[in-house]
Formats: sequence, structure tokens, C-alpha cells
Amino acid sequence: MNHDISNPKPHATAHPMVPIWVISLTVTLIFLAGVYFDHHSGWFDARVYGPYANAEQVQMYQPLAGAEAERLHGKQVYDAVCGTCHGADGMGMAGKAPPLAGSEWVLTKGFKRLTEIPLAGLNGPVTVKGQSWNASMAAMGAGLNDKDLAAVLTYIRSSWGNKAEPVEADDVKAIRAELAGHAMINGETELKTIPE
Amino acid sequence: MKSSLPIFLAVFVALGASFGGFVFGSISQLGTAKQTLVLNSTETYPVQRTGNATLGLQVYRANGCAACHTEQVRQEGAACELVLMGAGKKPDAVAEVLKEIAPAGGEFSANDLPKTLLRGVTKETADVAADKISTAGGKAEIHISAVGSDISRGWGIRRSVAADYLWDYPVQLGNLRAGPDLANVGVRLADAGIQLRHLYAPRSTVEKSAMPPFHFLFETRKIGATPSPDALPLTGTFAPPAGYEVVPTEDAKNLVAYLLSLRADVPLYEAPFTTAGPAATPTNAPVAAAEPK
Repeated sequence: MNHDISNPKPHATAHPMVPIWVISLTVTLIFLAGVYFDHHSGWFDARVYGPYANAEQVQMYQPLAGAEAERLHGKQVYDAVCGTCHGADGMGMAGKAPPLAGSEWVLTKGFKRLTEIPLAGLNGPVTVKGQSWNASMAAMGAGLNDKDLAAVLTYIRSSWGNKAEPVEADDVKAIRAELAGHAMINGETELKTIPE
Repeated sequence: MKSSLPIFLAVFVALGASFGGFVFGSISQLGTAKQTLVLNSTETYPVQRTGNATLGLQVYRANGCAACHTEQVRQEGAACELVLMGAGKKPDAVAEVLKEIAPAGGEFSANDLPKTLLRGVTKETADVAADKISTAGGKAEIHISAVGSDISRGWGIRRSVAADYLWDYPVQLGNLRAGPDLANVGVRLADAGIQLRHLYAPRSTVEKSAMPPFHFLFETRKIGATPSPDALPLTGTFAPPAGYEVVPTEDAKNLVAYLLSLRADVPLYEAPFTTAGPAATPTNAPVAAAEPK
């Protein structure tokens, strides 16, 4: 047998030693990958796309603040509640609901009278833009919260060429409290007794 | 074999991980995608294509349009613009606040409202400034717009998102831009006549177009008793010989119907922007990029 020790036969050891620097490098890389993942993955949220990093940022960039959002909020409520009769363009519907665009009952200086119409309902003859209407509207606004009602009234007062002061939720709250238990407003005769 | 179990496990893990990442992951993320609502609206998006446009997608696919055209708009950032809408009852208090906020100073008169105070800022900055203004009794709006090189080229107003491709099968994303991006070609060039002429003779509508002419989607035929109402109005070197007319085939018409259906111009939750409200500045004004951070 050949016992040449300078040229030993290769053999596998049971537990090959991994250098410590390979282990620390691997752990560091895994950690950095984790940090990168946390910052850039959006955690697999289907609604997160670049350049937004996460769901909170997408939410933050929604154009939902300010007067425009208020107007859009009002439009949503209007389309769902009022628009079916008064029309998406505020022009009303023959025999059903009078127009809101340019209506003298909408473009009042204050908004107390206008706010009471959806809160109490209106039944009986009323003249709008020189045309007589005899229809009945249930208290459509009684089911809306103060914020929604204020938004929709502001929308009505500022759309389709209308220009009037906005309605605030606090005022709606006060008017609602004052009006509690009131029956439907009886046409133009009673409507005129309500201060603007 | 001594180590068959470890080998089997290693293969299982490797294949399982790629299945999980490529198939299961994608399906659980976007597999249930359905129509959504346009941001701040009750309209659904995207609307189903017409029959012609659906057939046109197959013509688009068959002719390899996706080899040179992409259908994906990239977005590099989102920028906010702060616009003063009204000064309320205490204009002096608002002017005082504006001195802090706007680098241009707090000068404003009721006549030049709405006035842009800040441009190309992040949402945080805009939110803080808008809060200060509303505390002082004024009214400010924040306009959000997408920014990026694709967007400044006019290829779209926001990035493309998965919802845009809901009705596409197969999705024609493309990865080479030898030609312009087509994600919004229906918005950009909404004229079917120009689209048809461009397909027949690209250089008749775009002088330096590198697109090959697609003559085989058209029929050049002798003018019959009455000229076809569909015949292309071609002039100069592009015109067919006298007595002949160029009429689009069904394929060409379907392809154009598909191209005109490519419109991704509404804001979505995942790709928000402010739709043109009472604009204070022209929309083509340059907007500085701001990375949301």
C-alpha cells in the first residue's frame, strides 16, 4: 500500500465546517431583504401599486379632503337620494318634482327654510320659477345624518349654476332638533312662514 | 440511493415555492378581481368591450402589435397642488398664514382666486398647509396628479393597474416600445378614420412613422357603381390607382374598434388623481415630481 501522506485521498467529513463569515453574510442579506420587502412589497396588497409603498399611503393620496371632496360627497348622496326625482341635472321631472337649479326656494340667503323641506317633507302646492307644482315629498332627509344632509344641501346650493352659501352640519343638527316631531310642511303657505 | 429523501424534499420545496410564488400567489392576489367603482363616483369600471372590440383584440394579437407597442403606463410619483379657493370672513388672518406657507408670499386678492399656492409637494406638506388655512377660516383644495415620464409624454394621466385589463384575454402588455404606448390610444386618437388610415399607410398620418403598413387588412378594389362609404380618403403617393378604392376589411374595423376601446382615463382607488375641478392653472403646466415617501 502506498502511504504517501503528501497526497492523501479526499474524503468527506461528517460535518464540514462553514466559515463564520458566510453565516453572518447570509444572515445580514436575509435581514436586508426583509427590510427591502417591508418597504417595497405593500405586503401583497392587490390595491397597492408603485409609487405607493403601502396601503396607508394609497389611502392618504385619495383626493378625499377639502371642498372638492365635500362636493363629491354631496353629489353621491344627491344621486342616491334626490336625483331619482329631481334629476341628476337638477332640472326636476315633469309632474313629479320641481327643478332645483335656479329655484328661488334653494337660492335663499339663509338655509333654514331649505333645510326644513327634506327634514319634514313638503306636501301641497308650491310655485317654483313661476310654475305651479302640486306634489308631495316625503321627509327624505330625516333618514340622513347631519353631515350627509349638509353635504347634499351644499351640493344643491352650489351646482348647476346655483351659487349660495354652504350648509354646515352643526346648523343641520340644530334645525333637526328644533323640528322634531313636525308634520309635513303644508305647501307654499306654510313654507313662507318659515324664516329663510 | 442513500440520500433520496433529502433530494425528494429539496425538489418538492423548490417546485412548491415557485408554484406558490407564481401561481398561487398571483391568484390569491388578483384572481378574484372584478369590476370596481370609479373613484368618488357610482360608475363601474372597466366597462365590457363591444363585440367588435373583443374580436379586435384577437386581430391585435394575431398581428403581433404587442411586439412593438406596450399597453402599460408607468408612474414615478404623485404630486400635490394646493389651491386657495376662498379667504372666508377673515382674509387678513388667511394672508398671515399664507406668508408661512407659500414661498411667493401671502399676497392675494379676491379676484385672482382660485390661486395655486404650492405645486409639486407631497401630500403631507399639502395637508398641513390646508389645515392651517382652514383653521384661519379660509378654504383650500388639494389637487393630486400622477407624474412620470410616460405621463408627461401624454400617454396617460395615471399608471396602469390590473383593473384596466379585466376584459383582456390574453393581456397584451408588451415589453418593447418601438412605437408609442397604446394604453390610452382611444383617448388620444379617438377618430376611427385616422386610425384606419394609419394602419393602411402609417406615414399618411405620422410623417416619420416606423410602423409597417398593414395593407392586407384592407381591400384595394375597382370602384363599383357607387363608391364605398368606407373607402379611405387617401391622397398623394398613398392613393390607390385611379378607378380603385381602399376599403377596410372586417378585421381592420374590429382592430380599430379595439384600439378606440383602450381608455384608462378615470381615477381608481389604487391609482388616484383629482379629476379636473375648478382648475386654477392649465393642466399642461409642468409639474415637479415628488416621490411619496
